Amino acid sequence: MTARFARRGEHLQLTMSEAEHELLRALPDELRELYEDDSGTDEARERLFPRAYLDPTEEHAEEEWQQLVHPELLRDRLTALAQVTSSLERAAVGRRGELTVDLSPDEVSAFLGVLNDARLALGTRLGVSDDTDLADLEVSLAQRGDPRAPMTAVYSWLTYLEGELVEELLAGLPEEGEDD
Amino acid sequence: MIDVRASTPLAPVEIGEPDIDDVVVTDRPWLVIVWNDPVNLMSYVVYVFQKLFGYSREKATRLMRQVHDEGKAVVSEGSREKAEADVARLHAHGLWATMEHPS
Repeated sequence: MTARFARRGEHLQLTMSEAEHELLRALPDELRELYEDDSGTDEARERLFPRAYLDPTEEHAEEEWQQLVHPELLRDRLTALAQVTSSLERAAVGRRGELTVDLSPDEVSAFLGVLNDARLALGTRLGVSDDTDLADLEVSLAQRGDPRAPMTAVYSWLTYLEGELVEELLAGLPEEGEDD
Repeated sequence: MIDVRASTPLAPVEIGEPDIDDVVVTDRPWLVIVWNDPVNLMSYVVYVFQKLFGYSREKATRLMRQVHDEGKAVVSEGSREKAEADVARLHAHGLWATMEHPS
């Protein structure tokens, strides 16, 4: 795996192979389709836009909350998709044929959101649980000829990449909090 | 669940005095709960708690552990409006959060 992040002051530089670049560029379109599917039958979409109230007697509050908040959550997610697309379009070929792009803090947030949503969507589709061994899952899906088999490799790679990104972001945050 | 504010019997009070019991019940905060899920990275959850709530690394890590080990944790509390805003921010970051009013 080539993809990695390096800190450049407030910015992060993302380096990736051409194949990784292609993979990332495909995410916004796939997520846009999922976000805008309001048939109410997709569990991946339910996972991305869950309820606020579990208590059934708060159904009225839930409806009001959804009416107020959902358009905002959707709009911010769509904005992040567009930001990621435009960041990736700027990627330039450097030494060794790798692609690099410098990401501002805003672009980094958008990137993190898109990586995380892509993992939530794929993880839901794959039925990932706390006990899932991804290698085993890939083998068993492939043996059954399940078309989801290749998704496990993408999911693993996204997990790796998001892990790298979060490590960089945590390193940039203070240990102390406002609660200290 | 029954709305405690509506069902609490009024204590016998003298006319003109504030109903202390009622005030206490009304002030009981809403709880914002984050539930365990098998996809979100532990490091990501710590990052989100620090970023959204300004918690220290230590507190954010403790809450993440509680979510993971016990299945859920109360991550913030306050008025209904504050809880609704916190749930929205957590959903924007892909965390599975709900709010409830303990009875």
